Formats: sequence, C-alpha cells, structure tokens
Amino acid sequence: MPKDHGIGASSKRREDIRFLTGKGTYTDDMNIAGQAHAVMVRSTVAHGRIKRVDTAAAAAMPGVLAVFTGEDFAAVGGNPAGWLINSRDGTPMREPKRPVLAHGKVRHVGDAYAAVVAETYQQARDAAQVIADDSEIEELPAVVNMAAAVANASNRVHDEIPDNVCYDWGWIEDNRAKVDAAIKSAPHVTTLELVNNRLVPNAMEPRASIGEFFPGTQDYKLTTTSQNPHLTRLLVAAFVLGIPENKLQVVAPDVGGGFGSKIYHYGEEALARCAGRRNAASPSCRTRMAETT
Amino acid sequence: MTKVTMTVNGKSVSAETEGRTLLSAYLRDGLRLTGTHVGCDTSQCGACVVHVDGKPVKSCTVFAQDVAGADVRTIEGMANADGSLGVIQQAFQDHHGLQCGFCTPGMVMSAAALLAENPKPSEHEVRHYLDGNICRCTGYHNIVKAVMAASGQDVSALAAE
Repeated sequence: MPKDHGIGASSKRREDIRFLTGKGTYTDDMNIAGQAHAVMVRSTVAHGRIKRVDTAAAAAMPGVLAVFTGEDFAAVGGNPAGWLINSRDGTPMREPKRPVLAHGKVRHVGDAYAAVVAETYQQARDAAQVIADDSEIEELPAVVNMAAAVANASNRVHDEIPDNVCYDWGWIEDNRAKVDAAIKSAPHVTTLELVNNRLVPNAMEPRASIGEFFPGTQDYKLTTTSQNPHLTRLLVAAFVLGIPENKLQVVAPDVGGGFGSKIYHYGEEALARCAGRRNAASPSCRTRMAETT
Repeated sequence: MTKVTMTVNGKSVSAETEGRTLLSAYLRDGLRLTGTHVGCDTSQCGACVVHVDGKPVKSCTVFAQDVAGADVRTIEGMANADGSLGVIQQAFQDHHGLQCGFCTPGMVMSAAALLAENPKPSEHEVRHYLDGNICRCTGYHNIVKAVMAASGQDVSALAAE
C-alpha cells in the first residue's frame, strides 16, 4: 500500500496542484455571461449622520443599471449576528441589526451606504465616485474602543441602545467573594490592566460575491467567499430576504483564507443576490471589495 | 479603448484596454488568466507578482499600456512543458509551502526571480527577497524552506515545521 494511504499516513493535499499552477477557482476568478458589476460607496468617517445621498447623476451615467441606497433596504431590517448571547442577568443581548446598506447613520470607516450596479466594473466605480461626491455625511464624534463606548454612553453608536452595551459578561463579578478571598490569601499579587483588543482578521483574498437569479424557476444562487455557506444560506434566506431556503443555493469555491472574518454574512452578499433580481437584462451581479470591518 | 499586444507565457496575445487598465486586470479580465491574484490592490501584498521581461513586478501597479510588447510570464507559465510541476512549484508542495493558495502564485513568481538572480541564496537572502510577498496562513517558514530546496540546497538543518 502506498505510504500516503491509510490511517495515520501523511497524505498530499488535493488542492495543491491547482493552487500551484494558477488554476484555483476563487470567487473573483469566476465570470457569468452577461454579469453586471456592483461597487459600494463607503463611509470615510468612523461615525456620521447621512444627510443626503443624491444618486440621480450616477443613475444617468453610461452603463449604470441600478443604484441602491439604505432606503431600498429599510424594510429588510438588516443582517443578524447569527450568534446569540445572554448577559449574566439572563437577559438576551441587545442586537442592533446590521443594515444591508447603512441607513440614517454610518458607523465605521468603510460602512457602505450606497451601491451602483453597472455593465462594467469601471463604469460602476466611476458612478460610485459620483455618488460619494453628491452625498453629505455629517461627521459625529466616534467612540472607538470598549472603555470609551461605556464611558461616553451619551454618544450612541446605535440610537436604540442607550448605553452602548450589547451584553455584559462577568465571571469575576459573579464570583466576587471567592475572587476577593483568593487574592487576599495569595502570597503575591500583580496588578495589570489587560486590554483585549478588537480582532480584525485580514485574509489575503478580499471578499467577493456573485448573485444570480433564474427567472424560470425563481431560484437564486450566491457564490461567495465564505467559510460557512450553510449559515449564510440560512441567514440570507430566512432572516434577511425572506425567501425559502430551498430557493437559494450558496456556493463557496476556493477561499483564500478567512480566519473567522468569512464566517459572517455580509450586506454585499444580500445586495448581490438582490441586484440580480432587479435587473432582468443582467440577472447576475458580482461584487468585489477590499476587506472592511 | 486601445488594443494592447504583448507576449504572455510564450504566446502573442492582445486585449482591449483603457488608459487606466492595470496589467493585473489585463491578465485576469482580458485574457482570463486568473492565476495572478489581486489581494490588496495597493502593491503591498505581492499576490499579483508576474515577470515582465524577466523582472518581477506587482502587476496591480503597472498600466497594461505601459508594458505593450513586453514578454510577460505568469504562474500559468511555470509548469513544465508536459504539465508537471516546475522545480519551485514541486518544492512548495513537498515542503508544504502553501495553505489557502491565494498568495502562492506571487510567492512562486518572486522565488523564481530570486533564483534566476541568485541560484544559491542564504535563508536570510530568501527572507529579504520575499519581503514584498505577504502570506496570512503563517506559512513563511515552509515557503523559505521550499525556495531553498528548489535551489538544490540541503534544508534538513532548517527547523521542521
């Protein structure tokens, strides 16, 4: 029996040959005949109120098929986190839904508040720039870490969450007497401030999605850079767009790293799927975006 | 739109371009050679490295029209004539120098350029030369090992990973 067969054997990876010869198939390598291209218009400020998004000039530009703003997805309600946590008092976490496109406010640099779908990527980029120029976002003070968010509770990230707290865990607070006793009886006590920084993975492959709509069967297909296509299907079908799961196929081809960032469902994926349906002439739509948080 | 002709992997090819069309887009969208990857679009990551007239360049930062007529080599041109893996590609597989594969084309192209300039590089020289190629699966150690093995050097003394 060859030494790379059987239990305990060291096997060659099946994917190496195609990766080493440039024949992998990552999402952005795929092209659908007649596809349109979507480009997001993204916030350049960490926190801001959207005063005006004027899409009229962009919509009239060459090749532009559709323009979307947060308004178009207001009824959708937003993407759920897909991971529910209870606070230590037993109450469920307060989860602000993440809109497909920002509506009312932008909450981080890179938060998409409009999108252009055009026949070519360059046409979509040009029109997205025009929307950015024709938009007005009033910059608001930003809180950029956990301590600042709690200390400046009047500066609300989400208007509906008064103290900026999503949930509260506290093993020490729940075991205060025992912790105090242990520290009191310890032969040596070290004091330090421990900062648990925000984790932002940056895989080599940026996120990308291709949405397709098949008018004959009313089925959808989403090809996306996902570590978790089953969860994406559940979230996008059942919770975001309100279609039966069996009408949506989610495909994750070769994925160029994720490290957790590609577990989640992103607004661009919902948009790619939606844009496909909106355009009878180009029922498929692709997006490619630099990784944003 | 302007038609740009160049030699890619030994074949004369042409595709329509705008003035702003990057070499990476010319290869990927114009010629459908999608082995050249675009990670950062800002010439930091090195996934898009190709050879232009023998020199390694980051194709996301070169206008296609500026290299009209050039001799370009991409990852698709690195295998042997019979389709088997080239020496560097084989070494990457043998020494597990890749995981997700996204940075791999750029790594292989940079490594090939290094070995053309310096057939027996030291470990330090390999690390220095690959400074412009980022891997996020933390695979640098085995990439360095693969490049040194591809140069015919004994890598048994390098720590196992």
